[in-house]
Amino acid sequence: MDLATLIEALVKVHIVLGFVLLGVPLIVWMERKVLGHMQDRIGPQRVGPYGLLQTIADGIKLFMKEDILPTQADKVVYFLAPGIAVVTALAAMTVIPFGDTVTLFGRTIPLRITDVNIAILFLLGATSMGVYGIVLGGWASNSKYPLLGGLRSSAQMISYELAQGISLIGVIMITGSLSLSEIGRQQEKLWFIVPQFFAFVIYVICSVAETNRAPFDLAEAETELVAGFHTEFSSMKFALYFLAEYANMMVVSGVAITCFLGAWHGPFLPGPLWFLIKLTCFLFFYIWLRATFPRLRYDQLMAFGWKVLLPASLLNLAATAVVLTVMG
Amino acid sequence: MFELLLFGMLSGIAIGCALGVVFHRNPVHCALLLVGVLISVAGIFILLHAQFVAALQVIVYAGAIMVLFLFVVMLLNIKGETPLLTPGAAKFFGFLFALIVFVELIWTAVQPSPEGQGMPDAAPLPADFGSPAALGRVLYTVWLYPFEITSILLLVAVIGAVVLAKRKFF
Amino acid sequence: MAPTVPLVWYQILAAVLFTIGVVGVLVRRSALVIFMSIELMLNAVNLSFVAFSRQHASMDGHIFVFFVMAVAAAEVAIGLAIIVAIFRNRETASVDDVHLLKG
Repeated sequence: MDLATLIEALVKVHIVLGFVLLGVPLIVWMERKVLGHMQDRIGPQRVGPYGLLQTIADGIKLFMKEDILPTQADKVVYFLAPGIAVVTALAAMTVIPFGDTVTLFGRTIPLRITDVNIAILFLLGATSMGVYGIVLGGWASNSKYPLLGGLRSSAQMISYELAQGISLIGVIMITGSLSLSEIGRQQEKLWFIVPQFFAFVIYVICSVAETNRAPFDLAEAETELVAGFHTEFSSMKFALYFLAEYANMMVVSGVAITCFLGAWHGPFLPGPLWFLIKLTCFLFFYIWLRATFPRLRYDQLMAFGWKVLLPASLLNLAATAVVLTVMG
Repeated sequence: MFELLLFGMLSGIAIGCALGVVFHRNPVHCALLLVGVLISVAGIFILLHAQFVAALQVIVYAGAIMVLFLFVVMLLNIKGETPLLTPGAAKFFGFLFALIVFVELIWTAVQPSPEGQGMPDAAPLPADFGSPAALGRVLYTVWLYPFEITSILLLVAVIGAVVLAKRKFF
Repeated sequence: MAPTVPLVWYQILAAVLFTIGVVGVLVRRSALVIFMSIELMLNAVNLSFVAFSRQHASMDGHIFVFFVMAVAAAEVAIGLAIIVAIFRNRETASVDDVHLLKG
């Protein structure tokens, strides 16, 4: 491993980290503005032009708040839980390709941090580990509502993980590879949303449930369980959970774009710009869902995940396999 | 050199977490330390070119089985017991037996094999060793019968768990 | 390509983990921790299988690990259901307290 490779990897890590850490405030601003306009109000408008600096102001406020530790809380786990949530979300960003390659200083640099040949499995592993951030946060607070919220939330996440993974297998079967870069590269002629439309729909619904977003956000809604698993977290720990949730949204949007919506391919504009445009459209779709649908009750949510989505994804898998075998 | 360092680090973490699992009082801490063992063993799998098995370890073992463990520990709300270890002479016989097992295992591992070579260095690996494709090639041809039986086994386990944990409604 | 870490060391690590698991099963009284020690032993065995698989460049070791994981998942589900059922009846999770069949 020579110096040039090391520098290249470090620079890419910093760029992606900066992208996530700067992107999250922008997504939060977009959410508040879009939700506001959809609810016939304006949203933040005073801090900075068009309220752009509102999230920064909120971040500073959160940073200055008192960092509370509940008396009977388990100190080590209480400290670790938000960290686990953030680390797994950021780790999943390392395998998402932003573009094909770029040639700088005579080197061909692929536009992703790394490319493992089991990238999709790595992503599934990272989201599986993200469940620990939730369940440990709920338990470490040593309080009723967070515990209930945490357990419900993690049960929901592990249920929808199954259908999410199985819906991706159709795409894997078409490309014959688990590597996200390979899947992105093979969508030059035809985006995989066309042959795998139902898998796309299932994947999007499961992602919304995985990231605990409306209409699947019963476990953290203010009117239901106070604030669910992150009730007792204040200041930076709450900010970390917040960051983890939006970073997770970026990750699942990135995976959906890479697997179904043509990754970085598009006419005229460079690859990463198309990726950014598609990402923004996807996040707008997420926010639109939040503004439009009422919340699902917990038993409705679990029934939907197990009785509807899982059989549907298995059917899609079987149908894809049959079609691929018949077509040769 | 890099591999040696990684192996040392990962095995140190694995052994430390394993000792923590056995000797900690709080069951939740034990479960979390076991997750630590599982992840470091997954890292060692990657050192051994077993990428698919390492991913399975994280997704299935650390990500699903241990979450199930944690659910049960949290729902049953079992505190640590006092005293920690089995009281009386049984404790010493336990340690003694474990020591015997350890000595036997080490002795078997360092024995020269019948061909008289000790532990020979590894045979050259094919290019896609440890990848999902290589595993699938063997799993669905040579090992098809055990694979189908395992799916029935999992079905039986699901039915059994549901029946066992159900409350009886009169 | 010869590995820089001799394969005996992986076997020794597996032996150490297995022994720690044995200690846990024999010496602890909480049913849940005994169960976790059994999982530790299964992991040590998995490590041993993968190391041997590397040594002989055969995928059969990985297949064994695959099946061990599937069986471990099934075993954990049933075992935890049993522990929950016992706990519901007796309010205790210590194996020293479930001795009704003792002569």
